[in-house]
Amino acid sequence: MATLESSAVPLHAHHDDLSFIRKYIFATDHKIIGLQFLFATLIFLLIGGVMALMIRWQLGFPGEAMPGVGVINPKFYNALVTMHGTFMIFFAIMPLLVGTFGNFLIPLKIGAPDMAFPRLNMMSFWLFVVSGIVMTASLFVEGGAAGAGWTVYAPLSAVPQYTGVSLGQQLWIISIVFFGGSSLLGSVNYITTVINMRAPGMTLFRMPLSIWGLFVTAIIALLAVPILAAAIIMLLFDQTIGTTFFLPAGGGQPLLWQHLFWFFGHPEVYILILPAMGIVSDIIANGSRKPVFGYHSMVLAIIAIAFLGWIVWGHHMFQSGMNPLLGTSFMISTMAIAIPSAIKVFNWLGTMWRGNLWFHTPMLWAVGFVSLFTVGGLSGIFMASNSVDVFIHDTYFIVAHIHYVLFGGSLFAIFAALYFWFPKMFGRCMNENWGRIHFALTFTFYNLTFFPMHLLGMGGHMRRIYDPTAYEFLQPLQPMNKFITVSAFLLFMAQIPFVINFFWSLFAGEKAELNRWRDNGLEWTVPSPAPHGNFTVTPTVYRGPYEFSSPEVEEDFLPQDVPPDGGRERAPETVGR
Amino acid sequence: MESAEQKQQPRYYFIWFLLLVLTMVEVGVAYLSHLPRTLLILVLVGLAIWKATLVAMYYMHLKFERLRVILLATAPIPLAIILVLGVLLEYAQ
Amino acid sequence: MKEAIAMPGGVHAEPGMRIYNQKLGMWVFLASEVMFFTGLIGAYIILRFGAGDWALPGIPLEEGGTPLAINLTAFNTFMLICSSVTMVKAFAAIEHGDQRGLRLFLLGTVVLGAAFVGIQIFEYIKLTHEGFLPACSAELAEIVPNCGLFGSTFYVMTGFHGAHVSIGVFCMIWVTVKAFRGAYTKENHGGVEVIGLYWHFVDLVWILLFTIVYLI
Repeated sequence: MATLESSAVPLHAHHDDLSFIRKYIFATDHKIIGLQFLFATLIFLLIGGVMALMIRWQLGFPGEAMPGVGVINPKFYNALVTMHGTFMIFFAIMPLLVGTFGNFLIPLKIGAPDMAFPRLNMMSFWLFVVSGIVMTASLFVEGGAAGAGWTVYAPLSAVPQYTGVSLGQQLWIISIVFFGGSSLLGSVNYITTVINMRAPGMTLFRMPLSIWGLFVTAIIALLAVPILAAAIIMLLFDQTIGTTFFLPAGGGQPLLWQHLFWFFGHPEVYILILPAMGIVSDIIANGSRKPVFGYHSMVLAIIAIAFLGWIVWGHHMFQSGMNPLLGTSFMISTMAIAIPSAIKVFNWLGTMWRGNLWFHTPMLWAVGFVSLFTVGGLSGIFMASNSVDVFIHDTYFIVAHIHYVLFGGSLFAIFAALYFWFPKMFGRCMNENWGRIHFALTFTFYNLTFFPMHLLGMGGHMRRIYDPTAYEFLQPLQPMNKFITVSAFLLFMAQIPFVINFFWSLFAGEKAELNRWRDNGLEWTVPSPAPHGNFTVTPTVYRGPYEFSSPEVEEDFLPQDVPPDGGRERAPETVGR
Repeated sequence: MESAEQKQQPRYYFIWFLLLVLTMVEVGVAYLSHLPRTLLILVLVGLAIWKATLVAMYYMHLKFERLRVILLATAPIPLAIILVLGVLLEYAQ
Repeated sequence: MKEAIAMPGGVHAEPGMRIYNQKLGMWVFLASEVMFFTGLIGAYIILRFGAGDWALPGIPLEEGGTPLAINLTAFNTFMLICSSVTMVKAFAAIEHGDQRGLRLFLLGTVVLGAAFVGIQIFEYIKLTHEGFLPACSAELAEIVPNCGLFGSTFYVMTGFHGAHVSIGVFCMIWVTVKAFRGAYTKENHGGVEVIGLYWHFVDLVWILLFTIVYLI
């Protein structure tokens, strides 16, 4: 409450004389917090990636010693599978999209001086750090890290004897509770900021789609994460003080855990993809030099996906033995999500159609996003069907699906966004050629890694098994497993150009001009990097964010804050009340 | 902040009295264990919702807010109902 | 709060909810609190549905009655409702610039809230002595159906509610101290309104909990 009490920052705050600690460590400036999230999450992304390699090594070459790591024993393998999912979802993708770009972009793009509650924003970041430290520490405690999967299904997770992990699992839960607190503070901040702090003229339907994506995501996170918090606290009590919420022995219901988890978990999936969709819409419009095709339908599709996301959670549980009546309704609602998703894909294609395409690096990643997300979306429809899911549930098909959506989808969008806003973040540009090389290599090895997983799944390869060669029917698939492993290592190496490019550009990259990509957003009207307080004068917004190739002006872009030129101005609008 | 003149002062003490009476009625109803359970549950839940609505409308001033604030405040309720009813369907045969 | 801004070209921008940030933030936060308690209360409803037999109020303990003390808790509910009315009277007082009313009613709210927490702690001590716990004592487990499940859900729901009240009391003390220092005026009393929203919400949750856990 303490921070709620304080008044918002003054509109034109000049805090440039702050000490180093206030400016870069306990920062309240949304841009600095965004960068803090960026650097923290890139570390977690690396950890998660290394874990993925260890998993792949074990699957490709079971029982052989991995160079530098040694033989991976079954218990450690369980921990790897669990922690890879946890780190990637909670500590890499979600904070990269929501923490980094949410913080960095929202105030800049809506013309606000900062977030509504800068100090809550700081607390949100530091809670995230605490949560990350606890999670990382759980890797090194006695008994090893949590091994019940990132979905922590009870009773496997609720009884320490089942996985042989007790402290690790408890630290996992505590870490996620902190994470929930961080996410909650962030959501409250984003929602309040977007609702109340838009610049004059920035009506809801003039907001860039990236802000729409982040805004709707914040609403989902606000309402979904508390359910997870409630559920894992009950799980913690089951583990420690002898309650029996999810333990059948004491009258509890294991299925209740799955319901609660997926009631959070499915909206979580959209937390991970909606901001990516928004960011990609921005970049595709920029790269096509055309307005986004069907802006309003894009917004409505985001809202529709967000709403439908609440009534589909049961499709994760088709094989759990739940009531068949529920199964059918969840199947129908899940398939309905294909409609807004398809609207978005077609609109992206419509935006590019006959555009004056400019394949800068961010655009390459954005187009990569569209193609890979489409594959992931289509494989999702297979699993949405109750009866098909009997066959492919918990196989490598789902592993392929989730990686097409979260790696090919979210992470590609994150790379697109990084290349796109890097100049605004650091005042220097990343190298375009190395960016293209990074994209080409990643796209190639990405597909070589994850596409064969569909086939493995159809062959019946189970999702979290330790040693595929132990099953006779999987032995013919082992060459494919080896192929995937080699591809995965190459995919990891393909990130080296990015890391070098990133750090080299940070210090020695070409100086960025004001508007690197000739874009319309308000963030391109402020210096790179933008000062504390963002705008010297509160900008006034006159039009939507995608006025590219407008006949009104000579350049092929028309920034949102340029006043209309008298004669050809459009009729006054009163949208977005 | 809205100025005080714009809105009528709600009758806070009257609401308080109503809440107390409803609470007493609730406790009284709970002791009528010879009545059918379903009826008891319906009456008790109805009374509880009535009381909760009174608090939200008058003490939290929702009655005097704009529609958009009311929508914001009530937005999670459908989700809560979806979750509980959805899972309760587990028991429907 | 932002006012409607007349724009060049006749465009009117009306960003936002027309309420100030702190109040909007509190409402948004309360929306997430609704979901948190939905998780806890929903789990209770679902588990109880699945369990079948449950301890009921209005009958003796030996015949399957509830081990909870209804009359004591009804009195506690009364305290919390009273604290809500003092809270809202404090807000009404400062709306008219009545500093004395604000301070007295805030003090009353703090005292009533603390009393609620105190009575709840007393109730917990009494129940644990009687063996009513997530892991029930053997003799209680004999007579209370699904005693362990009842204990689990009871303590997690009322415990988290109690934690919310306790946090509320600490915040209320802080607001009261500020009120005594004259921090709130007729024009500027957002802090009182925002803590009030939280306080009433916690009261509202208790109204539902009391019925669902104790009376049904």
